[in-house]
Amino acid sequence: MTARFVRTRKEMEGRYEDVWVLVDEEDDVETWPHDAELDLVGKPAPRLDGTVRASGRAQFTVDVRLPGMLTAAVLRSPVAHGNVRSLDIDAALATPGVRAVIGPESVLSLTRSTPLLVAEPQYAGQPLAVVAADTSEAALAGVRALALELDVLPHVVDAREAVNEHRFTGDPADDSRGDAEAALAASEVTIELSVDTPAQLQVPLEPHAAVASWDGDSLTAWVSTQGMFSARDELAAAFGLRKDDIRVLTAFVGGGFGAKQGAGFEALAAAELARMTGRPVRLVNDRHAEMLDGGRRAATHQTVRLGAGRDGILTAIEAEAVVAMGQGGWVFPVLNPARTLYRCADVGALTFPAKTNLRAQNAFRAPGVMEGTAVFEQAIDELALALDLDPLELRRRNHVDVDQVSGLPYSSKQLLACYDRAAELAGWDRREELRAPQADGLLRGLGCATQIWWGGGGPPSHATVRLDSDGHAVVVTGIQDIGTGTLTGAQIVAAEELGLPLRHVRVVGGDTGPNVYGPVAGGSQTTPSVMPAVRSAAAKVRKTLLQLAGDVFEIAASDLEISNGRIRSHDGAIDADVTEVTGKLGSATIDGSGSRGPNPDGFVVNTFGCQIAQVAVDPGLGEVRVERLVAVHDVGRIVNPLTASSQIEGGVLQGLAFALTEELVIDPTTGVPVNGHLDDYKVPSIADVPEIVIDYPNLPDVNLPNVGSKGLGEPPIVPTAAAIANAFAHATGRRPAALPLTRARVLETLA
Amino acid sequence: MVELRVNCQLYEVEPFGRRLLAVLRDDLELLGAKLACGEGACGACAVLLDGRPVNACLLLAEAASGHEIVTIEGLSAGRAASVQEAFVAEDAVQCGFCTPGQIVSATALLERVPHPTREEIHEAMAGNICRCGTYTKIERAILRAAGAA
Repeated sequence: MTARFVRTRKEMEGRYEDVWVLVDEEDDVETWPHDAELDLVGKPAPRLDGTVRASGRAQFTVDVRLPGMLTAAVLRSPVAHGNVRSLDIDAALATPGVRAVIGPESVLSLTRSTPLLVAEPQYAGQPLAVVAADTSEAALAGVRALALELDVLPHVVDAREAVNEHRFTGDPADDSRGDAEAALAASEVTIELSVDTPAQLQVPLEPHAAVASWDGDSLTAWVSTQGMFSARDELAAAFGLRKDDIRVLTAFVGGGFGAKQGAGFEALAAAELARMTGRPVRLVNDRHAEMLDGGRRAATHQTVRLGAGRDGILTAIEAEAVVAMGQGGWVFPVLNPARTLYRCADVGALTFPAKTNLRAQNAFRAPGVMEGTAVFEQAIDELALALDLDPLELRRRNHVDVDQVSGLPYSSKQLLACYDRAAELAGWDRREELRAPQADGLLRGLGCATQIWWGGGGPPSHATVRLDSDGHAVVVTGIQDIGTGTLTGAQIVAAEELGLPLRHVRVVGGDTGPNVYGPVAGGSQTTPSVMPAVRSAAAKVRKTLLQLAGDVFEIAASDLEISNGRIRSHDGAIDADVTEVTGKLGSATIDGSGSRGPNPDGFVVNTFGCQIAQVAVDPGLGEVRVERLVAVHDVGRIVNPLTASSQIEGGVLQGLAFALTEELVIDPTTGVPVNGHLDDYKVPSIADVPEIVIDYPNLPDVNLPNVGSKGLGEPPIVPTAAAIANAFAHATGRRPAALPLTRARVLETLA
Repeated sequence: MVELRVNCQLYEVEPFGRRLLAVLRDDLELLGAKLACGEGACGACAVLLDGRPVNACLLLAEAASGHEIVTIEGLSAGRAASVQEAFVAEDAVQCGFCTPGQIVSATALLERVPHPTREEIHEAMAGNICRCGTYTKIERAILRAAGAA
């Protein structure tokens, strides 16, 4: 390898940092052109671990069973803000079967640092103590024996109240440019819209969970996480160990959706209790704990004012967001859609991160941008109404090819094609006919919304490929496949480049042991980060294989090609199974390693799309049904259309639920969530699903390294709620001041 | 001690007032059925009790004695195999955590109604939550398995 360090920009959910990355100059494979004839890439392939997942044999963290393993249970704060008066640790330790207890006074072994637990809880559900015992029943008995007594302190759960009292998790952010106030005053047409968006819970069906087992000063941790390497590094820092002393295993993860970052409280507490007892410890959240302390998309109060000329060209954007942060966390880019979706020189953007007595908000699929789009794209429709202009036409007139913040061009953008295709698939030209009175008494409408998200990925990301004498390859990656199908994507890309059948390529992920780094499964970055590394590694193996084939067949390697497991010469004289070459390897292997190259200079990488929803509203019952949803997203090249459509359907459904049913309701008097259970927090079931129609421009981004794909996890959730709310407004002529569109809210709005 | 008949085998278990799911997972190490909500609201713990899907997280283990219990591990042949194949072929599996419960419910549906309509599928499967949102493909997989059966 010819190594050098380069400085590049790395993006994660809209945050940029400049990092040094190691680049191998031999990683210079060119992107397959859009019309390349590919055997496997772009063709539907069932996921490689589908059978294991469908048979009940997939071992999730909650399924790990080790000899002598203890089970931990957590005592959590029952109040939004309080002060622990007494906690009877001795009584808990005296409970039969209890082996160890940690409480607010405890410090971590080895480093004696990082208190995990607090004596003054700041939100309902905050951990106060953890008990490890022989059985879960004994652990729960130990928790009861703690006989918690606490003083209740005043709380704030209303974000507006927090702002009035100047309670912030950080400084309010002003991301304005130009002079929006003056531009608004000078605009020919103006509108103003205020909408509240709900706190939405990720609800992975496998809750946060960890199992920790020590062997001397080496720790093995099974963690239900989206980021096994960050989990490893956090555990190393907490216990003062080298990274190599820790192995994190995460073969199967029962959903994350952003909530499962790093080691989490669960892995740290399990590791500490395992250290104290000398036995493996498992800690699994129960559902109520998961819903109070697993994380959430923060509720927001947003106001958007728009100004435009009579011609529909935007002249001013003013947007404000109050974000109910809870105790902290990143302030996600709620106003990014307002700042970047359309051309506008004068933009006001103020974000207030309100500190409330709730758990710190965390990532949930397209954090910030989704809830920002849900309001901003409704405001765009209000402007279309004020201008008496077709909403899609208004969006087309304000289309941009350069990023409005940096002034740099996009690396690729097929948004106009997405508009056209979505309009065609949705029957947009019959939009007004839908509103005619219907025999079933329902009010129908069509609404659209535009999507912007990042999803370009970047370095660092690595892969190795090893080909054996049977002509079979194993690809080692740093992927944790949380259900996205990215391991299968790596199989497809490696098999394509190697010229092998899919079934001859195995992919390893979910284990930090091999120390082949991959990024956290978040920010829609796995496919664009990992696939180029996989292809580079496979390309090196292919090159060596063809050189060896040249030796075997006594022909120049450049006259040979390989596909579907056969090596052929261009003149047709040679047509041999790959094992005729690899069979001579004996116990040797052909190895290659690859790295993700840097992102292109001078471009901004984003994904784009358009969704159009058709809704039917029952004006008597207040019920809103989404009948059909068209989703067209530009995410570069599609590696596997089968799993890609699964990502779109999943994102759309979570967006639909945000629009219609999901909301964590908090009792203002106690500050405690009142619907922290799956039977009163309504996630969609099979009966709630609309017809979902999917298409893509499917053109590779030639400015991205060697595969030309962008990420797809987040884009589909971004525009769904706005499209549904716009369809509701189209159907009814009313626009509710808050989401979700529950029956009560709909009836109030229509009254 | 009570006797439980699980996947055609007899087990003597001490229920200690626990739910069937706890006995299956903790005592018998049958780990296919999952504890996801513990509230009977998601179906990840579905097993068959005399051929009908039940939420094992709610049913007391003692109450299951005297009945025929089948878990995902016992559903390997015949119709269940075609359901599993259809789930994989249609990509009705994302993270896979709810999948054992989905397969149990889908197999029970097809035993009862070999050629279900969309409405019958929605009715039978509405108690099985999939947070990844594979529902469109679950419906397609069940229709596919019905065609193959």
